[in-house]
Amino acid sequence: MMKNNGTLGASFRDPSGFLFTRDGELYRQVNQVYAGDYERLMTSGLYDKLVESGRLIPHVEASVEPATPGAYKILRPERVPFISYPYEWSFGQLKEAALTTLAIQKRALKYGMSLKDASAYNIQFYRGRAMLIDTLSFETYQESEPWMAYRQFCQHFLAPLALMATRDVRLGQLLRIYLDGIPLDLASRLLPARTRWSPGLLSHIHLHAAAQKKFADISVAEARRGRTMSREALLGLIESLRNTVRKLEWRPAGTEWGQYYGNTNYTDVAFEHKKQLVAEWAKRATPRLVWDLGANTGVFARQVAGPETYVVAWDIDPAAVEQNWRQVQQEKEQNILPLILDLTNPSPAIGWDHRERESFAQRGPVDLVLALALIHHLAISNNLPFERIAEALAHWGNWLIIEFVPKGDSQVQKLLRSRADIFSDYTQASFEAAFGRYFEIVESRQLQDSERFLYLMKKSVP
Amino acid sequence: MLLYLDPGSGSFLLQLLIAGLAGLSIFLGLQWAKVKKLFRKRQDSAQNQDDEE
Repeated sequence: MMKNNGTLGASFRDPSGFLFTRDGELYRQVNQVYAGDYERLMTSGLYDKLVESGRLIPHVEASVEPATPGAYKILRPERVPFISYPYEWSFGQLKEAALTTLAIQKRALKYGMSLKDASAYNIQFYRGRAMLIDTLSFETYQESEPWMAYRQFCQHFLAPLALMATRDVRLGQLLRIYLDGIPLDLASRLLPARTRWSPGLLSHIHLHAAAQKKFADISVAEARRGRTMSREALLGLIESLRNTVRKLEWRPAGTEWGQYYGNTNYTDVAFEHKKQLVAEWAKRATPRLVWDLGANTGVFARQVAGPETYVVAWDIDPAAVEQNWRQVQQEKEQNILPLILDLTNPSPAIGWDHRERESFAQRGPVDLVLALALIHHLAISNNLPFERIAEALAHWGNWLIIEFVPKGDSQVQKLLRSRADIFSDYTQASFEAAFGRYFEIVESRQLQDSERFLYLMKKSVP
Repeated sequence: MLLYLDPGSGSFLLQLLIAGLAGLSIFLGLQWAKVKKLFRKRQDSAQNQDDEE
C-alpha cells in the first residue's frame, strides 16, 4: 500500500524512519534523529549477533536518493517473500513470535540497547522462523528505566496467547479488531478465573489491567515518583514474561480437519496420482509465489514448495495450521508458510485509511493458486455460484490447479446431508463453462481410482 | 530518547512493582533452596510458584 512518493502505508508511527519502494526495490530510510541509535546497533555487535542467529532481517546500506529530507541513511533490507499478520498466525506461530521478541530484548540489553516497541507486526516469518523486520526498533538503553514496550508486548502477544490457550483458540481473531493488541481490561474479563492463580498472568494481565485503570489519569512521571528499575530487575521482568509465555500451551485436536487425511474417501492410488499431477503441473507455471487455499496440513503445498517456490498454505482450521507449522519447525522447512484464513471472509485491509495492513487480495495476485478439494465447500456450504468462484480465483492468481469434486462424491454428500439440495447447477459442465470465461483450460485429468477431476488452468487476458 | 509509544502510566508503575517482587522472589527462592537442602527427602512438587516473579 503506497502513497505517491512510495512510502508504505503501514510505516508512519515511528519518526526514526520509514519504508518506501522505488523501481520495485524496497528501502528503509533512517532519519537524522535516529542516527545515534542506528550507529550503536551497527557498531556494538548487536546487529551482527542478531542477524547471525536469524532473529533480525539483514540489510545493506544503499546509496540512493532519500525519499524525504532529514535522511541519515538509506537501507535496503532483504525482502520477506510474503507479509503475514498476527491474526493469520496459529497459536504456535504467535508464541514463537513472542519468544523471539523477548530473546531479542534480552540480547539487546546485553549490548546496551532496548526494544522501544514490541509490535507483533514487526515480526515476520522468513526462512521458516520468526524474525524482526524493523531495524529501527532499538534504542540506547537508559540505566534505571523500565521497558517502554511492556504494555505493547502484553497487548500484542501475552493477552492473545493467554486467551487462545486458556479460553478458546479462536479468540486470536480479536487481533483483527484491535490493531494495537487486545486491551488488557478486555483480556482480563475474558480470561477464566483460574488464570489468576498463575503468577505470570495475574501480574502481567490482571494486575496490569487494574493498574492501567487506577493510573489512567496521571502522567508517567507522577506515577513513578522518581522510582527506578535496575537492569537486573528489567532482566527479571523479561524472564518472567518468557516463563509465562512458555507455559501457555495449546494442542491441536478435535477441530474440523485435524484428522482429515485419516478419513478421506480416496484411495492411496488417487492420492498419489493427485500428488504427482500437482507437482508436475505446478512446474509448468514456474511459480515463485503460490497460494494453497484450503491447504489443511500442507501435504500438497509440499509437492510444490522448493528453493525457488514459496508456498503460503492457507486453511480455516487453526488445528491444521498449527500441525503444518509444527512440521515446518521440525523439518526446518524454509519455503512453506502456514496461515489461518476463512476464505469466505478473508483478511480485510485495516488500520488508518485502510492502508496499514493489506487485505488478502491486495497481497496477490500470485503466480499459482491451488484449490484442491475446495470447490464443494465454497459452492455448497457457502452457496457461491461457480461464476463468482472463478472470478475471484482469476483475481488472485495467474495459474490455477483446481479439483472438481462431483456431487456423487461422499464428501459432497456429507455436506448435503444437513440441507436441501438446491444445487442443480453443480455439474462438471457448468463448472467448466464458468471457469472457461476467466481461464484457458490447459489440461484436465480424472484422478485414478476416483470420480474427481484435476484441472490446470491459465488466466485468459481480460 | 525518542518516545513515540505511550508506555502508559499504569504499565510503568506495575513494572516497578513487579521488579520489586522479582527481587523478593529471588531472595525467597534462595532461602527455599536452603530449606530444601535441609530436607532433601521431600522436595519434589509444589515449588513452582515462586520462580516466576
